[in-house]
Amino acid sequence: MKRNNTADENTLAAASLGSRPYFNFSSKWSTVVLLVAILSGIGVFIWWLNIPFIEDIFTSSVITLISVLGFQLYMGNSGILNWSYVGYVGIGAFASAIFSMEPSLKAMQIPIMYPFLQKLHLPFIPAVLAGALVAMIIAAVVAWPLMRLSDAVGSITQFALLIVINVLLSQWAEVTNGPRTFTLGGSRQTTIWVALGFAILVITFVYYFKESSLGMKLRTSRDDRYAARSSGINFVKVRYQGYVTSAFIGGLAGGLYSHYILSITAGSFYMSELFKLLSMVVIGGSMSVSGAFFGALIVTLAQQGLRQLELGLTRSGFEAYGMSEIVVAILMILFLILRPNGVTGGRELSLEALRNLFRPKQYTNNNGNKK
Amino acid sequence: MNDKKQTIQEQGSGAIPAPILQVNDLVVGYGAIEVLHGVSIDVREGELVSICGVNGAGKSTLLKSVAGVLKPRSGSIRFKGNEVGGKKPENLHKHGISLVPEGREIFPSLTVGENLRIGAFGRYDAKRYEADLADYFELFPILKERYNQAGGLLSGGEQQMLAIARGLISRPDLLMLDEPSLGLSPTMVDLIFELIRTLKARGITILLVEQNARRALEIADRAYLFSNGRIEYSGMSDELAESIDITSVYLGGNNGGEIL
Amino acid sequence: MSANIFIEFVINVLSMGSLYALIALGLVFVYGICNLVNFAYGEFITVSAYVLYFVGTFTDLPWWLVFLIAIGSGALTGFLSELIAFRPFRGRSLDALLVTSFAVSIILQRSFQLGISPRSRAVPVPDFFNINVSLLGVVTPLRNMLLIGTTIILLIAVLILMRRTSLGIAMRGASENFVTARLMGVPANLVISIAFVISGILAGVVAIFWSARTGSVEPMMGSGPLLIGFISVVIGGMQSLVGAVVGGYVYAFIANMLSLTLPSSLLSFRDAIMFVIVIAFLVLKPEGLIRGKYQEERVG
Repeated sequence: MKRNNTADENTLAAASLGSRPYFNFSSKWSTVVLLVAILSGIGVFIWWLNIPFIEDIFTSSVITLISVLGFQLYMGNSGILNWSYVGYVGIGAFASAIFSMEPSLKAMQIPIMYPFLQKLHLPFIPAVLAGALVAMIIAAVVAWPLMRLSDAVGSITQFALLIVINVLLSQWAEVTNGPRTFTLGGSRQTTIWVALGFAILVITFVYYFKESSLGMKLRTSRDDRYAARSSGINFVKVRYQGYVTSAFIGGLAGGLYSHYILSITAGSFYMSELFKLLSMVVIGGSMSVSGAFFGALIVTLAQQGLRQLELGLTRSGFEAYGMSEIVVAILMILFLILRPNGVTGGRELSLEALRNLFRPKQYTNNNGNKK
Repeated sequence: MNDKKQTIQEQGSGAIPAPILQVNDLVVGYGAIEVLHGVSIDVREGELVSICGVNGAGKSTLLKSVAGVLKPRSGSIRFKGNEVGGKKPENLHKHGISLVPEGREIFPSLTVGENLRIGAFGRYDAKRYEADLADYFELFPILKERYNQAGGLLSGGEQQMLAIARGLISRPDLLMLDEPSLGLSPTMVDLIFELIRTLKARGITILLVEQNARRALEIADRAYLFSNGRIEYSGMSDELAESIDITSVYLGGNNGGEIL
Repeated sequence: MSANIFIEFVINVLSMGSLYALIALGLVFVYGICNLVNFAYGEFITVSAYVLYFVGTFTDLPWWLVFLIAIGSGALTGFLSELIAFRPFRGRSLDALLVTSFAVSIILQRSFQLGISPRSRAVPVPDFFNINVSLLGVVTPLRNMLLIGTTIILLIAVLILMRRTSLGIAMRGASENFVTARLMGVPANLVISIAFVISGILAGVVAIFWSARTGSVEPMMGSGPLLIGFISVVIGGMQSLVGAVVGGYVYAFIANMLSLTLPSSLLSFRDAIMFVIVIAFLVLKPEGLIRGKYQEERVG
């Protein structure tokens, strides 16, 4: 049985139930700093380039990154793939839009909207946060009975939940304009800086969630449910907390997205989106925050590159739409077969890791022989 | 730690045929854990060899490796002269290795008859099958009674008999029994051991893994005593029974100073 | 309720249920043996539908041959996808399998879009399919009757295969306890391949009747049947073939009941309601309506 925690970490998790502080600001800060630095570096560079189309791609990629991080938070720590996740992204998207849009605009676009929804009006950032909160509350209400389920039944239940959310989002005309597009109008409020700012916060949060006692309890439950129970960890409750937290971040990403793209439909938060997130965690590595980060980076670059190829081919008369997804899907399968823990293999980016990368390993034992 | 491995000279003269099963320095593990640390045994045709030792000593692991369920990390398994380590279980079954797994593992929703039929899947011959069935109905009358009942309805002892019959129906060259007495009432245990004795009398080569060392040594020709993934003792079973402090092995004591 | 509406209801439930039962059966065959929920099953159906389109439109072959080719292509699709995409994942966790089958599904869908056309194509349907027959005062197209009849024949065939042949017994054993079956000499590869082939054959039959109803094929058409199969299997119990079939008919029954009884304002939510029912089933009664695998009791 491959254990992803060392024995020490397992003991730590158990020990942390009383004595350790809730957050452990240990020397692993370098991961967060490095990831934030890379992201900000790219961001500043792209802003300096001043090419709107590239800036747009970057902004939307950062929003996707936030989404993937929320996904990874639950999946990496609990070992459970949350098939309903993009549903919460969608809920956040619609909810935040309803909060932030001017009532008169809403009345014009969706005349049948419920009055209490129509009257709501919040500034941009509070609206996004409120949208995330709505997603989290819905997760909190719906998910409790589902946390106990495991394996096949659990996965299929989550998937069924996704379908329910999708149908509701696409049919509940009084809330979401039904199958028609929900247009936010106005100007794009999720600028590159807003997206970056939130991304930095989320990277930090997700990383420290992983290092927190809750994160460790989740991982212990993942690795051995019974050992966890005997250490006093209630794996259902711990999963629940992780799931709900993950839903919050998903809702957050959704809110930022809707204020970026300015018109949304339920279909954007369904299978294609789920597939995109899956490919990112599989290729990057689901076990670590850096995995989610680099997965997002790799897949985004691949998709953009392939899309350029698609456009080029289409221009020369060859209908190539959809090719990028095929390539990514094949990549995903290959990774699952050959390197299931992704590019990062469960490890985090850190100063230590970088040092090891650039310095050749030399271990000698007392006899002077190479180990 | 010394392996107090004692091989006692075979009585009698003449050329000894190669053992039908030869395991050499077998190393087997699960993930990060190594369970067998270089185990060597052999089984000759017609013998009943018993492997005893406490839980977790690696006995089942050995049988599973021979049967193809586990892949060895190193070492060799030779059956009828051919190297078979790491081969697929279904192929090994065709070669004539039959494992009656620990815990019976009969198919609960299949009838007794269907369970038996699967047992012969790899090596089926209609006429032989019918003849064998008739034979087993005598040996295990309960099977005839419950032929059309679901396997899951049988009691533990009956399931064990079904499992053994199922293991035999393919006329294997080597029958391996993994803890056949586990979880059975004393009467049932007696029955099962009687059965094994009968099978041996018929000349069937048997490799028996059994925690109950006393009973195993009673019916076996030779025995190996496992502890912590290694062989501690081996030899003719009657001599082993006399000389070794059975309880100490049974309880896993390798405290040094055991007499031999 | 007038007799006409009742008979119409019954015919609808039976014909829809038959189609759903076939879909569910195709899913469960694979699930039972390899614990794989085949997300790409919808695409198996789509492949056969496209074959119907191509062969039916561009050749002059008699309809029965076209159908046979479509069914054959379903079998081939099943066989190849197992060999190429699923075999490397044998023994892996359920999530890995789900993700893989999801990826295969996307690959196939996009391939149809790319290779054929993102728009739907008309599938030729034999004329007699649409002849209206009158049954006890209710008029219904002949294909509904054919569907019910075909399903009954297929179910009997599957039953015979599973209960009377040694292969069927081996497959049932393998789906209950794969490792032990191998110990008895049941070849893993053979059993799994056959499960996929049967699944593919069923997909072919479904494609015939599904595309006959809509008259067309398009790249995404597989998602409808897939969801239906899902629901049916969950309701009936993921463990058994009988359960899948029963689940299909029960789903058709519930869906028709909801269509009849829901106020029109809620009709568009019918699918959501169905899935809430599914979730309720999964939470409260995960083994479904039919107890397939005998729960072994260790006694004595």
